[in-house]
Amino acid sequence: MSLLPSMIEIVRDNWLLLLVGQYPNGPLGGIAATLILSILGIALAFPLSVVMALASLSPWLALRWPVMALVYITRGVPLLLIILWVYFVLPLLIGHSVPAFATMLVTLVGYEAAFLSEIVRAGIQALPTGQMDAARALGHSRLGAMRYVILPQALFNMIPSILSQFVSTIKETTLGYIINVPELTFAAGQINNRLLTKPFEVYFILAISYFIVCWTLTQAINMVERRIAAGRTAGPVAVSALPTTAASVSGA
Amino acid sequence: MIKFVAVHKFFGALAALTDVNAEVRKGEVVVVCGPSGSGKSTLIRTVNRLEEIQSGSVLFEGRDVHGKLGGAALNHLRSRIGFVFQSFNLFPHLSALDNVMLSPMKVNGVKRSDAREMALRLLDRVGLAAKAQNYPGQLSGGQQQRVAIARALAMEPPAMLFDEPTSALDPEMVGEVLSVMRGLARDGMTMMCVTHEMNFARDVADRVWFMDAGRVLETGAPVDFFRSPQHPRAQRFLSDLHTR
Repeated sequence: MSLLPSMIEIVRDNWLLLLVGQYPNGPLGGIAATLILSILGIALAFPLSVVMALASLSPWLALRWPVMALVYITRGVPLLLIILWVYFVLPLLIGHSVPAFATMLVTLVGYEAAFLSEIVRAGIQALPTGQMDAARALGHSRLGAMRYVILPQALFNMIPSILSQFVSTIKETTLGYIINVPELTFAAGQINNRLLTKPFEVYFILAISYFIVCWTLTQAINMVERRIAAGRTAGPVAVSALPTTAASVSGA
Repeated sequence: MIKFVAVHKFFGALAALTDVNAEVRKGEVVVVCGPSGSGKSTLIRTVNRLEEIQSGSVLFEGRDVHGKLGGAALNHLRSRIGFVFQSFNLFPHLSALDNVMLSPMKVNGVKRSDAREMALRLLDRVGLAAKAQNYPGQLSGGQQQRVAIARALAMEPPAMLFDEPTSALDPEMVGEVLSVMRGLARDGMTMMCVTHEMNFARDVADRVWFMDAGRVLETGAPVDFFRSPQHPRAQRFLSDLHTR
Protein backbone atom coordinates (compact mmCIF):
# COMPACT_ATOMS: atom_id res chain seq x y z
CA MET A 1 0.00 0.00 0.00
CA SER A 2 1.45 3.35 -0.92
CA LEU A 3 2.17 5.99 1.66
CA LEU A 4 0.15 8.98 0.55
CA PRO A 5 -3.35 7.43 0.38
CA SER A 6 -2.72 5.82 3.72
CA MET A 7 -1.76 9.15 5.30
CA ILE A 8 -4.74 10.89 3.76
CA GLU A 9 -6.94 8.21 5.24
CA ILE A 10 -5.44 8.66 8.71
CA VAL A 11 -5.92 12.43 8.53
CA ARG A 12 -9.49 11.97 7.30
CA ASP A 13 -10.33 9.69 10.19
CA ASN A 14 -8.51 11.64 12.90
CA TRP A 15 -8.43 15.31 11.88
CA LEU A 16 -10.59 16.41 14.76
CA LEU A 17 -8.35 14.64 17.29
CA LEU A 18 -5.28 16.28 15.73
CA LEU A 19 -6.95 19.71 15.80
CA VAL A 20 -8.60 19.83 19.23
CA GLY A 21 -7.95 16.47 20.92
CA GLN A 22 -10.96 14.90 22.62
CA TYR A 23 -12.70 18.22 23.11
CA PRO A 24 -15.64 18.67 23.86
CA ASN A 25 -15.88 15.18 25.37
CA GLY A 26 -12.46 15.42 27.01
CA PRO A 27 -9.79 18.07 27.61
CA LEU A 28 -8.81 20.37 24.77
CA GLY A 29 -5.80 18.91 22.95
CA GLY A 30 -4.12 18.64 19.57
CA ILE A 31 -2.82 21.66 17.67
CA ALA A 32 -5.21 23.88 19.65
CA ALA A 33 -3.60 22.88 22.95
CA THR A 34 -0.11 23.22 21.45
CA LEU A 35 -0.86 26.74 20.28
CA ILE A 36 -2.59 27.75 23.51
CA LEU A 37 0.34 26.45 25.55
CA SER A 38 2.84 28.30 23.36
CA ILE A 39 0.90 31.56 23.21
CA LEU A 40 0.13 31.58 26.94
CA GLY A 41 3.70 30.51 27.68
CA ILE A 42 5.24 33.39 25.73
CA ALA A 43 2.58 35.92 26.72
CA LEU A 44 3.06 35.26 30.43
CA ALA A 45 6.83 34.88 30.13
CA PHE A 46 7.29 38.17 28.30
CA PRO A 47 6.37 40.66 31.06
CA LEU A 48 8.26 38.49 33.52
CA SER A 49 11.30 38.53 31.25
CA VAL A 50 11.30 42.35 31.06
CA VAL A 51 11.30 42.56 34.86
CA MET A 52 14.08 39.95 34.98
CA ALA A 53 16.13 41.80 32.37
CA LEU A 54 15.82 45.05 34.33
CA ALA A 55 16.84 43.20 37.48
CA SER A 56 19.84 41.64 35.75
CA LEU A 57 20.98 45.13 34.65
CA SER A 58 20.35 46.64 38.07
CA PRO A 59 23.26 48.13 39.98
CA TRP A 60 22.09 46.13 43.04
CA LEU A 61 23.58 42.70 43.48
CA ALA A 62 20.54 41.49 45.43
CA LEU A 63 18.40 41.98 42.32
CA ARG A 64 20.96 40.74 39.81
CA TRP A 65 21.94 37.59 41.60
CA PRO A 66 18.65 35.58 41.70
CA VAL A 67 17.95 36.35 38.05
CA MET A 68 21.39 35.33 36.88
CA ALA A 69 21.08 32.12 38.92
CA LEU A 70 17.76 31.28 37.28
CA VAL A 71 19.17 32.04 33.83
CA TYR A 72 22.21 29.84 34.36
CA ILE A 73 20.07 26.99 35.70
CA THR A 74 17.70 27.06 32.74
CA ARG A 75 20.63 27.25 30.36
CA GLY A 76 22.39 24.35 31.99
CA VAL A 77 19.53 21.92 32.59
CA PRO A 78 17.50 20.24 29.81
CA LEU A 79 13.87 21.38 29.63
CA LEU A 80 12.70 17.77 29.93
CA LEU A 81 14.36 17.49 33.34
CA ILE A 82 12.78 20.71 34.55
CA ILE A 83 9.37 19.43 33.43
CA LEU A 84 9.83 16.15 35.32
CA TRP A 85 11.12 18.00 38.34
CA VAL A 86 8.13 20.35 38.44
CA TYR A 87 5.79 17.42 37.74
CA PHE A 88 7.04 15.27 40.61
CA VAL A 89 8.34 17.78 43.15
CA LEU A 90 5.81 20.62 42.96
CA PRO A 91 2.89 18.43 44.21
CA LEU A 92 5.06 17.30 47.13
CA LEU A 93 5.86 20.89 48.02
CA ILE A 94 2.35 22.31 47.81
CA GLY A 95 0.59 19.17 49.04
CA HIS A 96 -1.84 18.45 46.24
CA SER A 97 -1.65 17.35 42.65
CA VAL A 98 -1.27 19.78 39.78
CA PRO A 99 -2.91 19.16 36.40
CA ALA A 100 -0.43 18.26 33.67
CA PHE A 101 -1.42 21.25 31.53
CA ALA A 102 -0.75 23.67 34.42
CA THR A 103 2.53 21.93 35.19
CA MET A 104 3.63 22.32 31.57
CA LEU A 105 2.50 25.94 31.42
CA VAL A 106 4.30 26.94 34.62
CA THR A 107 7.48 25.23 33.45
CA LEU A 108 7.32 26.84 30.02
CA VAL A 109 6.72 30.30 31.50
CA GLY A 110 9.73 30.01 33.78
CA TYR A 111 11.94 28.52 31.09
CA GLU A 112 10.96 30.98 28.36
CA ALA A 113 11.17 33.93 30.74
CA ALA A 114 14.80 33.07 31.45
CA PHE A 115 15.67 32.93 27.75
CA LEU A 116 13.58 35.98 26.84
CA SER A 117 15.20 37.97 29.65
CA GLU A 118 18.56 37.35 28.00
CA ILE A 119 17.14 38.57 24.69
CA VAL A 120 15.67 41.67 26.36
CA ARG A 121 18.94 42.35 28.19
CA ALA A 122 20.91 42.09 24.95
CA GLY A 123 18.39 44.38 23.25
CA ILE A 124 18.79 47.00 25.96
CA GLN A 125 22.57 46.77 25.87
CA ALA A 126 22.62 47.02 22.07
CA LEU A 127 21.23 50.57 22.20
CA PRO A 128 23.81 53.38 22.04
CA THR A 129 24.78 54.54 25.55
CA GLY A 130 23.98 58.09 24.47
CA GLN A 131 20.27 57.28 24.75
CA MET A 132 20.55 56.58 28.47
CA ASP A 133 22.90 59.55 28.92
CA ALA A 134 20.43 61.88 27.21
CA ALA A 135 17.50 60.63 29.27
CA ARG A 136 19.44 60.91 32.54
CA ALA A 137 20.74 64.36 31.59
CA LEU A 138 17.12 65.50 31.17
CA GLY A 139 16.41 64.37 34.73
CA HIS A 140 14.71 61.01 34.17
CA SER A 141 15.27 58.39 36.83
CA ARG A 142 16.83 55.11 35.72
CA LEU A 143 13.46 53.42 35.63
CA GLY A 144 11.85 56.41 33.90
CA ALA A 145 14.58 56.35 31.25
CA MET A 146 14.02 52.62 30.76
CA ARG A 147 10.27 53.04 30.46
CA TYR A 148 10.07 56.03 28.13
CA VAL A 149 13.32 55.86 26.17
CA ILE A 150 15.14 52.53 26.31
CA LEU A 151 12.46 49.83 26.40
CA PRO A 152 10.26 51.24 23.62
CA GLN A 153 13.26 51.08 21.29
CA ALA A 154 14.76 47.86 22.58
CA LEU A 155 11.51 45.88 22.58
CA PHE A 156 10.67 47.06 19.08
CA ASN A 157 14.10 45.95 17.86
CA MET A 158 13.56 42.59 19.52
CA ILE A 159 10.22 41.69 17.94
CA PRO A 160 11.85 39.21 15.51
CA SER A 161 13.83 37.53 18.31
CA ILE A 162 10.75 37.24 20.48
CA LEU A 163 8.81 35.71 17.60
CA SER A 164 11.53 33.17 16.91
CA GLN A 165 11.50 32.28 20.58
CA PHE A 166 7.77 31.66 20.11
CA VAL A 167 8.55 29.18 17.33
CA SER A 168 11.02 27.42 19.63
CA THR A 169 8.33 27.27 22.29
CA ILE A 170 5.91 25.54 19.93
CA LYS A 171 8.49 22.82 19.40
CA GLU A 172 9.21 22.62 23.12
CA THR A 173 5.57 21.90 23.96
CA THR A 174 6.09 18.43 22.46
CA LEU A 175 7.89 17.55 25.69
CA GLY A 176 4.52 17.80 27.42
CA TYR A 177 3.96 14.34 25.93
CA ILE A 178 6.07 12.84 28.70
CA ILE A 179 3.66 14.04 31.42
CA ASN A 180 0.51 13.31 29.34
CA VAL A 181 -0.34 16.88 28.37
CA PRO A 182 -2.89 16.28 25.58
CA GLU A 183 -1.13 18.43 22.95
CA LEU A 184 -0.45 17.58 19.31
CA THR A 185 2.27 14.98 19.85
CA PHE A 186 0.12 13.28 22.46
CA ALA A 187 -2.80 13.14 19.99
CA ALA A 188 -0.51 11.53 17.40
CA GLY A 189 0.58 9.04 20.02
CA GLN A 190 -3.04 8.11 20.69
CA ILE A 191 -3.65 7.57 16.97
CA ASN A 192 -0.54 5.47 16.68
CA ASN A 193 -1.57 3.32 19.63
CA ARG A 194 -4.93 2.70 18.03
CA LEU A 195 -3.59 1.86 14.55
CA LEU A 196 -0.51 -0.01 15.80
CA THR A 197 0.82 -0.76 12.31
CA LYS A 198 1.37 2.69 10.86
CA PRO A 199 3.90 4.59 13.00
CA PHE A 200 5.75 5.99 10.00
CA GLU A 201 2.60 7.51 8.50
CA VAL A 202 1.36 8.89 11.82
CA TYR A 203 4.62 10.52 12.81
CA PHE A 204 5.15 11.83 9.31
CA ILE A 205 1.79 13.58 9.58
CA LEU A 206 2.90 14.93 12.96
CA ALA A 207 6.15 16.28 11.54
CA ILE A 208 4.33 17.93 8.63
CA SER A 209 1.87 19.54 11.04
CA TYR A 210 4.62 21.10 13.14
CA PHE A 211 6.51 22.11 10.04
CA ILE A 212 3.52 23.93 8.55
CA VAL A 213 2.86 25.88 11.75
CA CYS A 214 6.50 26.77 12.37
CA TRP A 215 7.39 27.47 8.76
CA THR A 216 4.42 29.83 8.42
CA LEU A 217 5.49 31.68 11.54
CA THR A 218 9.10 31.86 10.39
CA GLN A 219 7.96 33.41 7.11
CA ALA A 220 5.95 35.93 9.09
CA ILE A 221 9.04 36.73 11.17
CA ASN A 222 11.10 37.32 8.04
CA MET A 223 8.43 39.71 6.83
CA VAL A 224 8.41 41.59 10.13
CA GLU A 225 12.22 41.76 10.05
CA ARG A 226 12.16 43.26 6.57
CA ARG A 227 9.54 45.78 7.61
CA ILE A 228 11.57 46.86 10.62
CA ALA A 229 14.75 47.09 8.58
CA ALA A 230 12.98 49.18 5.96
CA GLY A 231 11.49 51.50 8.55
CA ARG A 232 14.87 52.00 10.14
CA THR A 233 17.02 52.83 7.13
CA ALA A 234 16.36 56.51 7.62
CA GLY A 235 17.11 56.40 11.33
CA PRO A 236 20.54 56.92 12.88
CA VAL A 237 20.09 54.24 15.57
CA ALA A 238 20.35 51.06 13.56
CA VAL A 239 20.91 48.09 15.82
CA SER A 240 22.94 45.81 13.60
CA ALA A 241 23.50 42.99 16.09
CA LEU A 242 20.02 41.76 16.84
CA PRO A 243 20.13 39.05 19.49
CA THR A 244 18.62 36.29 17.39
CA THR A 245 21.04 33.63 18.60
CA ALA A 246 19.37 33.10 21.99
CA ALA A 247 16.46 31.38 20.28
CA SER A 248 18.66 28.79 18.62
CA VAL A 249 20.34 27.63 21.83
CA SER A 250 17.05 27.05 23.59
CA GLY A 251 15.99 24.01 21.58
CA ALA A 252 15.29 21.27 24.11
CA MET B 1 26.84 79.19 38.99
CA ILE B 2 29.07 76.26 37.98
CA LYS B 3 32.19 75.98 40.09
CA PHE B 4 34.97 73.41 39.87
CA VAL B 5 37.00 73.08 43.07
CA ALA B 6 40.18 70.99 42.98
CA VAL B 7 38.59 68.41 40.69
CA HIS B 8 40.60 65.26 40.01
CA LYS B 9 39.50 62.37 37.85
CA PHE B 10 41.29 59.20 36.80
CA PHE B 11 40.55 56.53 34.24
CA GLY B 12 42.53 53.78 35.92
CA ALA B 13 46.08 55.13 36.14
CA LEU B 14 45.44 57.85 33.55
CA ALA B 15 44.76 61.28 35.00
CA ALA B 16 41.79 62.64 33.03
CA LEU B 17 41.36 65.80 35.07
CA THR B 18 44.00 67.28 37.33
CA ASP B 19 43.26 69.95 39.91
CA VAL B 20 40.65 71.87 37.95
CA ASN B 21 39.62 75.12 39.61
CA ALA B 22 37.36 77.40 37.60
CA GLU B 23 33.97 79.03 37.64
CA VAL B 24 31.21 79.83 35.17
CA ARG B 25 29.29 82.84 36.48
CA LYS B 26 25.60 83.45 35.98
CA GLY B 27 24.84 84.80 32.53
CA GLU B 28 28.36 84.07 31.33
CA VAL B 29 29.29 82.21 28.15
CA VAL B 30 32.42 80.11 28.62
CA VAL B 31 34.07 78.30 25.73
CA VAL B 32 36.35 75.42 26.64
CA CYS B 33 38.96 74.71 24.01
CA GLY B 34 42.10 72.67 23.66
CA PRO B 35 43.55 69.74 21.74
CA SER B 36 41.68 66.41 21.51
CA GLY B 37 42.06 64.24 24.56
CA SER B 38 42.70 67.22 26.81
CA GLY B 39 39.71 66.42 29.03
CA LYS B 40 37.24 69.04 27.79
CA SER B 41 34.34 66.63 27.29
CA THR B 42 35.15 64.79 30.50
CA LEU B 43 35.09 68.08 32.39
CA ILE B 44 31.73 69.20 31.01
CA ARG B 45 30.23 65.76 31.72
CA THR B 46 31.18 66.02 35.39
CA VAL B 47 28.83 69.00 35.76
CA ASN B 48 25.71 66.82 35.62
CA ARG B 49 27.54 63.75 36.85
CA LEU B 50 27.52 61.76 33.64
CA GLU B 51 31.14 61.26 34.71
CA GLU B 52 32.14 60.60 38.31
CA ILE B 53 35.15 62.34 39.87
CA GLN B 54 37.62 60.98 42.37
CA SER B 55 38.17 64.07 44.47
CA GLY B 56 37.22 67.73 44.67
CA SER B 57 33.75 69.08 44.07
CA VAL B 58 31.62 70.51 41.30
CA LEU B 59 29.11 73.03 42.56
CA PHE B 60 25.98 73.91 40.62
CA GLU B 61 24.03 76.79 42.15
CA GLY B 62 26.03 76.15 45.31
CA ARG B 63 25.16 72.44 45.58
CA ASP B 64 27.83 69.80 45.28
CA VAL B 65 26.81 67.63 42.33
CA HIS B 66 29.16 64.87 43.46
CA GLY B 67 28.26 65.08 47.14
CA LYS B 68 25.93 62.74 48.96
CA LEU B 69 22.74 63.15 46.97
CA GLY B 70 19.71 60.90 46.89
CA GLY B 71 18.64 59.65 43.48
CA ALA B 72 15.72 62.08 43.36
CA ALA B 73 17.92 65.04 44.28
CA LEU B 74 20.42 64.16 41.55
CA ASN B 75 17.64 63.75 38.99
CA HIS B 76 16.28 67.15 39.98
CA LEU B 77 19.71 68.74 39.67
CA ARG B 78 20.22 67.18 36.25
CA SER B 79 16.82 68.41 35.08
CA ARG B 80 18.06 71.96 35.76
CA ILE B 81 21.18 71.60 33.61
CA GLY B 82 20.57 71.53 29.87
CA PHE B 83 22.99 69.23 28.06
CA VAL B 84 23.59 69.06 24.32
CA PHE B 85 25.61 66.11 23.01
CA GLN B 86 27.98 65.86 20.08
CA SER B 87 25.91 62.96 18.70
CA PHE B 88 22.52 64.68 19.36
CA ASN B 89 21.09 61.57 21.05
CA LEU B 90 17.54 62.36 20.04
CA PHE B 91 15.10 59.58 20.89
CA PRO B 92 14.59 57.95 17.46
CA HIS B 93 11.22 56.39 18.31
CA LEU B 94 9.66 59.79 19.02
CA SER B 95 8.83 62.68 16.69
CA ALA B 96 10.69 65.96 17.12
CA LEU B 97 7.70 67.33 19.01
CA ASP B 98 7.50 64.31 21.33
CA ASN B 99 11.26 64.46 21.94
CA VAL B 100 10.78 67.98 23.28
CA MET B 101 7.54 67.21 25.17
CA LEU B 102 8.59 63.98 26.89
CA SER B 103 10.71 65.23 29.75
CA PRO B 104 8.64 68.25 30.83
CA MET B 105 5.67 65.86 31.09
CA LYS B 106 7.33 62.86 32.70
CA VAL B 107 9.94 64.59 34.85
CA ASN B 108 8.30 67.90 35.73
CA GLY B 109 4.67 66.79 35.53
CA VAL B 110 3.70 69.49 33.03
CA LYS B 111 0.25 68.98 31.48
CA ARG B 112 0.27 67.57 27.95
CA SER B 113 -1.42 70.63 26.44
CA ASP B 114 1.03 73.00 28.14
CA ALA B 115 4.02 70.84 27.18
CA ARG B 116 2.85 70.80 23.58
CA GLU B 117 2.44 74.55 23.47
CA MET B 118 5.90 75.08 24.95
CA ALA B 119 7.48 72.49 22.63
CA LEU B 120 6.00 74.13 19.55
CA ARG B 121 7.24 77.52 20.74
CA LEU B 122 10.76 76.12 21.29
CA LEU B 123 10.82 74.33 17.94
CA ASP B 124 9.80 77.62 16.37
CA ARG B 125 12.63 79.34 18.22
CA VAL B 126 15.19 76.94 16.71
CA GLY B 127 13.54 77.37 13.29
CA LEU B 128 11.94 73.92 13.07
CA ALA B 129 8.23 74.52 13.66
CA ALA B 130 7.53 72.90 10.30
CA LYS B 131 9.39 69.71 11.28
CA ALA B 132 7.54 69.07 14.55
CA GLN B 133 5.97 65.83 13.32
CA ASN B 134 9.14 64.47 11.70
CA TYR B 135 11.15 61.69 13.28
CA PRO B 136 14.87 62.20 13.97
CA GLY B 137 15.75 59.81 11.15
CA GLN B 138 14.05 62.15 8.71
CA LEU B 139 16.02 65.21 9.80
CA SER B 140 19.50 66.43 8.82
CA GLY B 141 22.25 66.52 11.44
CA GLY B 142 21.90 70.26 11.92
CA GLN B 143 18.14 69.93 12.33
CA GLN B 144 18.55 67.11 14.82
CA GLN B 145 20.96 69.14 16.89
CA ARG B 146 18.56 72.08 16.91
CA VAL B 147 15.78 69.77 18.12
CA ALA B 148 18.17 68.54 20.81
CA ILE B 149 18.73 72.13 21.92
CA ALA B 150 14.96 72.69 22.04
CA ARG B 151 14.58 69.48 24.03
CA ALA B 152 17.11 70.69 26.60
CA LEU B 153 15.50 74.14 26.77
CA ALA B 154 12.10 72.57 27.44
CA MET B 155 13.24 71.78 30.98
CA GLU B 156 13.77 75.55 31.44
CA PRO B 157 17.31 75.07 32.75
CA PRO B 158 19.17 78.05 34.19
CA ALA B 159 22.34 76.83 32.45
CA MET B 160 23.16 74.98 29.23
CA LEU B 161 26.14 72.75 28.53
CA PHE B 162 27.27 72.03 24.98
CA ASP B 163 29.65 69.13 24.37
CA GLU B 164 31.13 69.70 20.89
CA PRO B 165 27.67 70.41 19.45
CA THR B 166 28.90 70.93 15.89
CA SER B 167 31.70 68.35 15.64
CA ALA B 168 29.50 65.65 14.13
CA LEU B 169 27.95 67.98 11.56
CA ASP B 170 28.66 68.52 7.89
CA PRO B 171 30.29 71.94 7.48
CA GLU B 172 27.25 73.54 5.84
CA MET B 173 25.13 72.71 8.90
CA VAL B 174 27.44 74.16 11.53
CA GLY B 175 26.16 77.69 11.00
CA GLU B 176 22.51 76.95 11.77
CA VAL B 177 23.40 75.38 15.12
CA LEU B 178 25.83 78.12 16.06
CA SER B 179 23.26 80.78 15.26
CA VAL B 180 20.80 79.16 17.67
CA MET B 181 23.54 79.16 20.30
CA ARG B 182 24.32 82.81 19.59
CA GLY B 183 20.64 83.59 20.12
CA LEU B 184 20.70 81.85 23.49
CA ALA B 185 23.81 83.77 24.54
CA ARG B 186 22.16 87.01 23.50
CA ASP B 187 19.17 86.16 25.72
CA GLY B 188 21.49 85.89 28.70
CA MET B 189 21.67 82.10 29.08
CA THR B 190 24.53 80.80 31.20
CA MET B 191 26.50 78.57 28.82
CA MET B 192 29.50 76.30 28.96
CA CYS B 193 30.54 75.12 25.50
CA VAL B 194 33.21 72.68 24.46
CA THR B 195 33.85 73.56 20.84
CA HIS B 196 36.48 73.84 18.15
CA GLU B 197 34.65 76.79 16.58
CA MET B 198 37.11 79.53 17.36
CA ASN B 199 35.06 82.21 15.63
CA PHE B 200 32.18 81.39 17.94
CA ALA B 201 34.57 81.67 20.90
CA ARG B 202 35.90 85.01 19.66
CA ASP B 203 32.46 86.51 18.99
CA VAL B 204 30.25 85.07 21.71
CA ALA B 205 32.32 83.90 24.67
CA ASP B 206 32.82 86.04 27.74
CA ARG B 207 35.73 83.85 28.75
CA VAL B 208 37.80 81.14 27.12
CA TRP B 209 39.27 78.24 29.08
CA PHE B 210 42.20 76.49 27.53
CA MET B 211 42.75 72.86 28.54
CA ASP B 212 45.58 70.45 27.95
CA ALA B 213 46.32 67.07 29.52
CA GLY B 214 43.46 67.35 32.00
CA ARG B 215 44.38 70.80 33.32
CA VAL B 216 42.79 74.17 32.75
CA LEU B 217 45.94 76.08 31.83
CA GLU B 218 44.48 79.45 31.02
CA THR B 219 41.25 81.35 31.47
CA GLY B 220 40.73 84.76 29.98
CA ALA B 221 38.65 87.07 27.85
CA PRO B 222 38.67 85.94 24.21
CA VAL B 223 40.37 89.15 23.09
CA ASP B 224 43.31 88.50 25.39
CA PHE B 225 43.40 84.77 24.80
CA PHE B 226 43.47 84.99 21.03
CA ARG B 227 45.77 88.03 20.85
CA SER B 228 48.27 87.17 23.54
CA PRO B 229 47.96 83.72 25.04
CA GLN B 230 50.14 83.36 28.14
CA HIS B 231 50.82 79.65 28.40
CA PRO B 232 53.29 78.19 25.90
CA ARG B 233 50.95 75.26 25.22
CA ALA B 234 48.13 77.71 24.38
CA GLN B 235 50.46 79.68 22.11
CA ARG B 236 51.34 76.50 20.25
CA PHE B 237 47.67 75.44 20.01
CA LEU B 238 46.65 78.78 18.51
CA SER B 239 49.55 78.93 16.07
CA ASP B 240 48.72 75.38 14.94
CA LEU B 241 45.16 76.56 14.31
CA HIS B 242 46.35 79.48 12.21
CA THR B 243 48.80 77.55 10.11
CA ARG B 244 46.22 74.88 9.29
